[in-house]
Amino acid sequence: MDKGLALQARDVRMEYVDQATGDRLLAIDRVDIDITEGEFVSIVGPSGCGKSTFLKIVNGLFPATAGTIEIRQSAKGVAHAMVFQDSSLFPWYTIIDNVAYGLVCQGVPKKDAQRRAQPLIDLVSLTGFESKFPYQLSGGMQQRANLARALTVDPEILLMDEPFAALDAQTRELMQAELLRIWNEASKTVLFITHQIDEAIYLSDRVLVMSARPGRILADITIDLPRPRQLEIKRTPEFIAYADQIWGLIAKQLKPHIHDKAAHPGGEAVA
Amino acid sequence: MPRIPERLAYGLLGFLVVLPLWEAVVRLGVVKRVTLSAPSLILEAAWEDLFVNGILWPHIFQSSQQFFLGLGLALITGVPLGLALGLFRRLNYFLDPWLSAIYATPTIALVPLIVLILGLGIESKIFIVWLEAIFVIVVTTMVGVHAAEARYLDLAKSFRASRWFTFRSVILPSSFPYILTALRLGVTRSLVGVVVAEFFAANRGLGFFINFSGTTLRTDRVMLGVILLGLLGVVLGEGIRRIERRYEKWRPEFN
Repeated sequence: MDKGLALQARDVRMEYVDQATGDRLLAIDRVDIDITEGEFVSIVGPSGCGKSTFLKIVNGLFPATAGTIEIRQSAKGVAHAMVFQDSSLFPWYTIIDNVAYGLVCQGVPKKDAQRRAQPLIDLVSLTGFESKFPYQLSGGMQQRANLARALTVDPEILLMDEPFAALDAQTRELMQAELLRIWNEASKTVLFITHQIDEAIYLSDRVLVMSARPGRILADITIDLPRPRQLEIKRTPEFIAYADQIWGLIAKQLKPHIHDKAAHPGGEAVA
Repeated sequence: MPRIPERLAYGLLGFLVVLPLWEAVVRLGVVKRVTLSAPSLILEAAWEDLFVNGILWPHIFQSSQQFFLGLGLALITGVPLGLALGLFRRLNYFLDPWLSAIYATPTIALVPLIVLILGLGIESKIFIVWLEAIFVIVVTTMVGVHAAEARYLDLAKSFRASRWFTFRSVILPSSFPYILTALRLGVTRSLVGVVVAEFFAANRGLGFFINFSGTTLRTDRVMLGVILLGLLGVVLGEGIRRIERRYEKWRPEFN
């Protein structure tokens, strides 16, 4: 792997067999991605294009059919940690136990894990909620805890699978700003999946646009907006120009995609 | 004036309407006393058999012993077996035909065989109770293991949790509500088991008491035995509901 890279994906391909029809479907094909250390990279694309599938392959939830993915592995921490789309906090654990979960998985004694989880709870502004159960928290707070849990294991790269998709519009905006603050403080490499163009532009250094299935990287757009970014930046002409450019690329994908869906009913991507 | 909850008020009203009606039907001779006893007669029998001559106590003791031993054994064996069947697909395939076959067979049909093998002592009764209760416990526990949600399993996998830790942190908590349901269903089935066991080849126990009272035309005692079994079921059911509330504080509906 090239020096200074946090992640290098080469020629990644994912095929799966549609359970309903028995057809072999190509979810993603020839995906090459380089992510530099400390970079915030988003993948956007039409729904069902395989962007979540790619993230799950990076996370090791299932293997790719072909290709290689290398992730920088340092002595401390782990290679990667995932923030899932829906709040996957365990309802039977308190917030502190949820956040400490990754450490306990590594064999850290519970007390130590809780002690090491505390700074992350403070970082995501959940101080005072340690002994609450997830259902006692709002959706936004649950996703903060989710983020803290991923950060606790000190991952080399943070994988985020549409983490704000289930939140209402206002909470989502606030969480985007909050995520940038946390990213700034924790200085992590982030690979972020979303179908929201403005979210991708606002957060990222680079936005990768994925095609409809089979998912391929269509464009690699560097977002040249100054940081730190305030939410107001979304109303500047530069921001809107990026949004138009990306939307233009995705819109071209939508028509054949709808056609494709009609031809393969029930052919949603794996997971 | 303190408000009585509506639920309780109507529940009590139900008793106040039905019991006098029942009493009247028997007193007025619409139905013979020997076929359907009256509430007052059952109460009288209860007083006499529990506190005057005390003949009921050995029966209650005997039935309780069989009930708790049988149910306890069914839990100790059924819950681990259910977990194992839920976790290991091939074990499931291997045992499924047997479980289905035995589950579909009315336990009562096996009683003569069980008595033949285990004799007339308490062993055969405990075995019958165990047999009545275990399948529902195994099946419900197994369903509980399958109820563990994919997103939680993915999360454990994502954090590289060991198989054992995944079991402890995801599968066991997910199946816990089902295990409590299994316990509650097991209680009901065990009560059936106790009665079935004591109807045949017994000389003590509530089942025997009911059966014997029936053959000697003591309908009041038959009803008394039935009511005692019903009470036991209600009390244990309520006890389990309390455990559920205590251990599932993360469930919003209990808070």
